[in-house]
Amino acid sequence: MMWRAIFLGLCVIGLAAVPFFGDDVLVQYGIDALLFATLAQAWNILGGFTGYVSFGNSSFYGLGTYGTAIAMAQLHWPFGIGLGLGAVLAVGCAVLFGIPILRLRGHYFAIATLALSASLSAIIANLDIAGRNIGLILPLTRADAAFYEEALLLLVAATATVAWIARSRFGMGLLAIREDEDAALVMGVNTTRYKIAALSLSAFFTAIAGGIHAYWITFVDPGGAFDLTLNVRMVIMAMFGGPGTVFGPLLGAFVLSAVYDVLASSISTAAALLFGLVIVLAVIFMPRGLLDLASGFRREGARYLLQNIRMHRL
Amino acid sequence: MLLAQILLNGVLLGGLYGLMALGMALVWGVLNIVNLAHGALVMLGGYCVYFLFAGLGIDPFAALPIAMLAMFAFGYLLQRFVLNLIIRSAALNTLLITFGLDVVLTYLAQLAFTADFRTINPSYAGANVAILGLTVPLLRLAAFVAAVVLAALLWVLLQRTRLGRAIRATAQNLVAARLYGVDPAQLYALTFGLGAALAGAAGGLYGMVSQVTPYIGATLTAKSFVITIIGGLENPFGIVLGGIVIGIIEALASLYIGATFTDAISFGLLVLILVARPARSLRNA
Repeated sequence: MMWRAIFLGLCVIGLAAVPFFGDDVLVQYGIDALLFATLAQAWNILGGFTGYVSFGNSSFYGLGTYGTAIAMAQLHWPFGIGLGLGAVLAVGCAVLFGIPILRLRGHYFAIATLALSASLSAIIANLDIAGRNIGLILPLTRADAAFYEEALLLLVAATATVAWIARSRFGMGLLAIREDEDAALVMGVNTTRYKIAALSLSAFFTAIAGGIHAYWITFVDPGGAFDLTLNVRMVIMAMFGGPGTVFGPLLGAFVLSAVYDVLASSISTAAALLFGLVIVLAVIFMPRGLLDLASGFRREGARYLLQNIRMHRL
Repeated sequence: MLLAQILLNGVLLGGLYGLMALGMALVWGVLNIVNLAHGALVMLGGYCVYFLFAGLGIDPFAALPIAMLAMFAFGYLLQRFVLNLIIRSAALNTLLITFGLDVVLTYLAQLAFTADFRTINPSYAGANVAILGLTVPLLRLAAFVAAVVLAALLWVLLQRTRLGRAIRATAQNLVAARLYGVDPAQLYALTFGLGAALAGAAGGLYGMVSQVTPYIGATLTAKSFVITIIGGLENPFGIVLGGIVIGIIEALASLYIGATFTDAISFGLLVLILVARPARSLRNA
C-alpha cells in the first residue's frame, strides 16, 4: 500500500516535471493527453460505476468551454471565475436534465443524452452572447507550461475523487446500481440521488477540462465545443482501459492518445480507421479493458481472449 | 399554398426517412441491437446504386434490387461472423461495436470512394407534375412510393411467411423459438441481412433526392433512431408514419424557425416522448 502511494507520487512528480525538460511539442501533446485522460476519468464516474452510457458529456464539455469563453471574452472576467461559470452551467444542466432522463435505462438513456448535446449546440449557435456560429476568441496567452500543470492538477483531482468513490459507500451504491438497479433500490440505495450526484461530478470535471482547453487554444465554436466524437473518444478510452476502475481510464487514454497522435501525424484516414478497428476488436476480445486483460492473461493465458466470445455468443 | 407545398415536401421526404428507419427497427426489435452503423449501411447502399447507375448505366430504380441483394449478403456475413460473437453481452458492448463498425465503414468508404459528393441523377430527375396547384417532384414521389411498397412487402413477409413467423417468434422469446426448431444464429443473420437490405434501398433513394458522401451515416443513424422511437418497434407502417411525422416537423421547422434548429427540434421531441410515455411502446426501457 505504502509502496503504491510512493510509486504514484513519483509518477505525478515525473509528469509535473515534463514542461521543465521536454520540448514544446511534447508539452502540447501532454496537455491534450492529460485533458483526454480527465475526460475519460470523468465519464468513468457515471459510465464505469453505474453502467449508464452518457453521450451527453460532450455537452458538459461544451458548456464548460462556453462558460469560460463568455466570461473572458464578453464579460472580461478572470480565467478562474470563467472556469467556475462553466462548471456551474454544466452541473446545473446535469441536475436539470438528469432528473427526467436518469429514469430511462440502457439504450434509451444513451440516446437521450445524445439529444442533449445536439440541442445545446444548436441553441448556442443562435445566441448572440455566445458569438453564434462564428464562435468567440479568448485573450491570448502563451503559457503552455502553466496549462500543462493545470491539466495535470485537474487529472489528479479527478482521479483522487474516483479513488475516493471506489472505496466509499457512495461508490458501492453506484456499483449496486450497475449490477441490478431494482435490487439496489430495495436495499435502500437512493438510486435517483446517487445517479444525479454521479452525473454532476462527471459534469464538473468535464466542464473544467473544457474551460482549460478553451483558454489554451483561445478559440471556441459550436462545432468544436459540442463535438460528439469527443464524447465517443471518452467512452472508448475509458472502456479500453477498464471501466469502473480507478486507473483504467487513465491507461486507456494515454495508450490511445499516443497511438492516435503517432498515426494521425502520418496518415489521418488510417488513424481513424484503426481507431474503429480497435473498438471492434476490443469489444470482441477484451470488453473489460486493458487492466482486466493484464490480470486475466496472467491467470489463464491466451484462453482469456476467447472467454468473452464463449460467454456471449449465441 | 406555401404551407401545403411545404407539407407535401415533408411527407415525401418523410416516407424515405421511414424506410430508412425500418431496417433499424427490425434489427432492434428482433436482435435487441441498436445498430449505430445503420447510417453507414444506408451510405453503402447509396454508393452501390450510384456506381451501378454511373458506372454501368443501369436505371437507379432497376439498380435498387441489386443493391439490396448486395447489402443483404453484407449484412448477413457481418452478423454471422462478427456480431453473433458478442450478441449476448451488455447493451453497452453492442452499442460500442456497432459504433466501431460505423467508423470502419465510414473511413473505408472515404478511402475507396473519396469524399466527393455524389448524386444519382437520372435523366428524369428534374421532372415535375402539377396537382391542384402543388408541384410534385416525380423523383421524390417515386422514392416515396418505393418506400411505402417496401414497407408493405416487409409487413407481408413478417405476417404471412414461415420466415416472418420465425422472426416474430424469436423477437418474442428466443428460448421458446429455439425449442420450436429455429436456428438463432441463422435467423439473426437473416434478420440483420434484411435490415441491411432495407438500409441499402433507403440509401439508393436518398442518393436520388440528396447527396451521398462517406459522412452521411451519423446523422442518418440519429434520424432513424428518433423515428424508431416515435413509430414503435411492432409495426412497419408505424415506422413509416413516424418518418412522415419527422419529415413534416423538419419541413415546418426550417420554414418557421430556421434550418439550424431542425435537429434540435426532432431530438427535443424525442426526449419528450422518451420521458413522457416510457410505459407503452418502451416497456423494457
